Amino acid sequence: MDIPYTVTARPDTGLYNAKVGIWLFLASEVMLFGGLFSSYIFLRVGADYHWPVHELDVRLGFVNTLVLIFSSVTVLLAWANLKLRNIGKFKLYMLLTVLCAMTFMVIKSFEYRAKFSHYAVKLTDGTFLTGHLPHGYEIKFGEATQLSFTVQSETAAIDADPDGYVLPFIQGDTPKFKTESGNEIILDKSTFKDLRSASLEAAKAAGKNSGSFKLVAASPLTFQAKPSQILGYTATTMTFRDGTVAQGKLLDDKMTLEVDGVDTRSVPDAEKSIAWGTQYLGDGWKKAFITNRDHAKKEFEEKYPTRDPQKSATHQKEAFYLKIKSSTPPSGEEHGDGHKAEAKAEGHGDDHSAHGHHPEVVLDKKDIAFYSNYTPKLNTYYAIYFTLTGLHGLHVVAGALVLTYFLLFDGKMLRNDPERLANRVEVGGLFWHFVDLVWIFLFPLLYLL
Amino acid sequence: MSAAATSHDHSHGADHAHDHHDEPGFLGKYVFSCDHKVIGIQYALSGLLFLLLGFFLMLLMRWSIAFPGQPVPGLQFVESLPGLGWLFHETLGRWAPGGVVNGELYNMLGAMHGTIMVFLGIVPLGFAGFVNFVMPLQIGTIDMAFPKLNMWSFWLFFVSGVLMLYSFFVGTGPVQTGWTMYSPLASTTTLAVSNVWAHGHTWWLTAMVFNISASLLGSVNVITTVINLRAKGMTWMRMPFFCWAMFVTSFLLLLAFPPLEVAALLQLVDRVFGASFFLPTGLMEGGQHLDISGGGSPLLYQHLFWFLAHPEVYVLILPAFAILAEVIPANTRRPLWGYKSMVYASLTLGFLSFLVWAHHMYLTGMGTMMSTYFQITTVLISVPSVILLTGLMISLWGGSIRFTPQMLFASAFLPMFGIGGLTGLPLAFTFIDLALHDTYYVIGHFHYVVAPGTIFALFAGVYHWYPKITGRIMSDFLGKLHFWPSLLGMNLIFAPMFIQGMGGFHRRWYDGGKYFEQTSSASNWVTELTSGVFGIFGMDVPNNLLGLNVLMSVGAFILALGQVPFILNVFLSIKGGKKVQSDNPWNCTTLEWATPTPPPHGNFTFEPVVTRGPYEYSVPGCSQDYLPQWESEPGKAATAPASTPAPVAHH
Amino acid sequence: MADSTEEIHKAIKRIKLIGWVLAVFTVITVGLSYVELPTHTMNIVVGMIVAAFKAALVALIFMHLNHESPLIYKILAFTTAFALALFVLFVFSASDPLVFDSFYESNK
Repeated sequence: MDIPYTVTARPDTGLYNAKVGIWLFLASEVMLFGGLFSSYIFLRVGADYHWPVHELDVRLGFVNTLVLIFSSVTVLLAWANLKLRNIGKFKLYMLLTVLCAMTFMVIKSFEYRAKFSHYAVKLTDGTFLTGHLPHGYEIKFGEATQLSFTVQSETAAIDADPDGYVLPFIQGDTPKFKTESGNEIILDKSTFKDLRSASLEAAKAAGKNSGSFKLVAASPLTFQAKPSQILGYTATTMTFRDGTVAQGKLLDDKMTLEVDGVDTRSVPDAEKSIAWGTQYLGDGWKKAFITNRDHAKKEFEEKYPTRDPQKSATHQKEAFYLKIKSSTPPSGEEHGDGHKAEAKAEGHGDDHSAHGHHPEVVLDKKDIAFYSNYTPKLNTYYAIYFTLTGLHGLHVVAGALVLTYFLLFDGKMLRNDPERLANRVEVGGLFWHFVDLVWIFLFPLLYLL
Repeated sequence: MSAAATSHDHSHGADHAHDHHDEPGFLGKYVFSCDHKVIGIQYALSGLLFLLLGFFLMLLMRWSIAFPGQPVPGLQFVESLPGLGWLFHETLGRWAPGGVVNGELYNMLGAMHGTIMVFLGIVPLGFAGFVNFVMPLQIGTIDMAFPKLNMWSFWLFFVSGVLMLYSFFVGTGPVQTGWTMYSPLASTTTLAVSNVWAHGHTWWLTAMVFNISASLLGSVNVITTVINLRAKGMTWMRMPFFCWAMFVTSFLLLLAFPPLEVAALLQLVDRVFGASFFLPTGLMEGGQHLDISGGGSPLLYQHLFWFLAHPEVYVLILPAFAILAEVIPANTRRPLWGYKSMVYASLTLGFLSFLVWAHHMYLTGMGTMMSTYFQITTVLISVPSVILLTGLMISLWGGSIRFTPQMLFASAFLPMFGIGGLTGLPLAFTFIDLALHDTYYVIGHFHYVVAPGTIFALFAGVYHWYPKITGRIMSDFLGKLHFWPSLLGMNLIFAPMFIQGMGGFHRRWYDGGKYFEQTSSASNWVTELTSGVFGIFGMDVPNNLLGLNVLMSVGAFILALGQVPFILNVFLSIKGGKKVQSDNPWNCTTLEWATPTPPPHGNFTFEPVVTRGPYEYSVPGCSQDYLPQWESEPGKAATAPASTPAPVAHH
Repeated sequence: MADSTEEIHKAIKRIKLIGWVLAVFTVITVGLSYVELPTHTMNIVVGMIVAAFKAALVALIFMHLNHESPLIYKILAFTTAFALALFVLFVFSASDPLVFDSFYESNK
């Protein structure tokens, strides 16, 4: 019992089943990416910040575009050679296609990784400082003597679990605690379990669903945690993600940033940005900024005398987004030019881990309005960038897996029914071209325009 | 089976030889089956179970609305049961101390009622269940075009159902933000949890991604099957209307669901990675700026959501028309009136349904150009809907109606859907929508469409095709005992909603408006009657719009009782129903009745050849009152060269 | 689709040619994006025209939509129509050309 038209086309529609199927699937993919592109337009039209242009690495994007185009050609050649029964060439081209897919993903992952370690900090006046966190960013909270736990008798969103959410952040040796009844214990899974059940029993007796108890530290504790690892803190308390509260004193929540760029496009008066304050970048960099801005302005006016520099996004970026490429501000007028400064900082390139080529500033928490690494959190541009390219990447991986399957595991069909395999390859190829087609739009929209 | 194989000329018997000899084991036959009939039944049964669950959630809500603050009777008892009590406590009980439904629980119930009914109940039963079982039989093929994909579709749906149910067990409980999940509320509620998986919302979104993928696979399958696997002589215009309506529905699922998938993905990114797709700049919660970049747009979510959710309404209603177009001609012994115009109407309906979505968003501050556009398209789309309903209604004219249970449900559908549709018209206009938006009027409107509308049609479908599945006919008496309380209950629940809605009752009040009793004690003859009738039974029901809450809740309990005979009927008739005398117990004309009962793997014992249209009932001069599609003359199957292959399709 | 040996050989040549054309147009896209047109919107429009041209090549030649069954055309026509609705109607509801622009202009 066979399903008809798996290999040959139905005469009146002129199509075999899989071909109808893949085109329908692609139609729904058009709507999927249509929805995403439409979100892109909607977000861009409504953006209340300067939409990044040429901010991603164009070279990598360009190479990836060529890789995908090449793989689109090879998958077609594989199909054509299978039709001609040149099995060796079919396998070669198929292998090339899969290799291209892998190259694409490797390049993509490099791009992603560079973004994850790069940060942008929005100051309260709208200035953006970009750069790296040489020591990471962690909140230090010390002199903590007391921990308050709240435990729930029922499944709850927040329920004390110090083993997972508190203990990992304690600095130094395994601490000892005193319970309310005066016993000295080491806090771990089993001792907490006992404390928990005792507390819950007491709560039950009182007719409540949640119990709470306190532990006093034998010696003051110090915690160190990333802001995302805790729920919040004040000058005297720190709340962990499981609801546990530590009493103590905030030691340090300053952020040390290796600045590689100052973006003052959203500041009403760029010269008065907090970033130029003495405790941060200082007058030297301010001068460099002004030189650079005036230079850019002059250049723009010479090139396009009739145009309004206010309306040119690229000019705004050149004039008000100062790239910092050396550890000290360039002295003298001529060095205001970015290229000169770059030449001074040797070995700079993409190696962001190299210290000393960027000024280090220590930012006060009160001056920071918002910060994030270059992830979806940073702004809607990066949000849509990661979503679009991530989803596209998933399609690349899926397509590559299917093509690999045709290459490696369809040997039996290749021998017995090559025509059917050719159909499969054609259908897989259609999907692969679609992936290429999406990238043809993604590349200019995200990297270039 | 072998006959079907002859229809394609390529011979590669060696490849498929094992198909004939392999007897699949229990798992392969009933669980991970690739047979479209088994998958259809799997979909239908899980759909029915979810409908029951969604209905149960609604009962709790109705209790809270009618008697806010009073413990739900029986909850304490359920909690004391071993096993079941634990299950109940872990899911709902922990939110209902003392058995009282509070606002939080009410919000969960509301959100999950909507989600379960729409995505896990009606679509799987009405679309996936019926289309899988009936459609391949009706077009005369042996299976769907991609049987394995079909199996995957069901199991993806199953996973989505499990994930959705699991959200009842996690820390925050299931979502509380309505079935629409509007951002920014849905993007930011209770972000302060130990980890994202302790939040029901993460599970909801993940479940939706699975659900949508399942729908996509299913719809690709259905469309391909209809396009490529129709039997000899089954031209497009000889296809039963059932297949046409399901064909259009599949396109709606195929093209409208991806934007919802986008919405779900973006909201997931918002929640899990802290992005601001749907969060505007400067968003504050509890007097504090959220730790977000802002710059996004809540409107974007609504657009993406309603781009699906409006076509989804037609996904809910087209299967109902599909089923009725089979049930009504079979029970009136008359051809379907206006088959062609109904086909074109359903195509128009499908097309227009993509262009009307923002009538759900009149209050979002769209400009006049856009709201005018959406008002126009919304009014336009009522035209094909009316054509469909009129076609079914006129089909009754001059028929000798057999009042079987399926026909009772079908005939009740017509006025009920009529009420639902007509009450929707005023909502199409912005100036009326201003007043009625988010009130019980809207709830009454769409529940009239989907509850006594679609669900009645689904019941009709179950009664109609049950004999084909089991070889036995469902009990007529239990069927009628099912029908009359259901009809009464449905109307008691939903009719008063119009009155309350026009009185300004908001859809999300967990206390049903009791808080506003002092300021809104309007009364009219309906409330007086309600108060009076309940007075006879010694119940003190206030003579104002709040009194209607009690009336509606009583209606809900009548409806609940009315489902007991149905459940009994489904199970008892498997063994105890009247055996069918032939493969075609209702004397129908469409191909599914040409198969043995129940249809074996491969469906047909001969190669069906179609010689005529689908609704040849009471043809003048014919010896019997029906002429099946597969017979050249009564009692004689048409043979292969009877018709030339269909010309290139136009649709 | 091409089925005879000769046709396939022709197709291979065409595929390679189109591959080169696509690569060249990628270079052109990158180059054009660095040209400062009077407004950035123009840059976007030009860039999208080039991208659409490339996409058309891929769709027509690589995905051989230049000779496909009419059924596929119909399905894709509807899909395109709905995708356009996604683009156009979304944007219009954010900035209604009849109301918002004139409204904000008069308030400036």
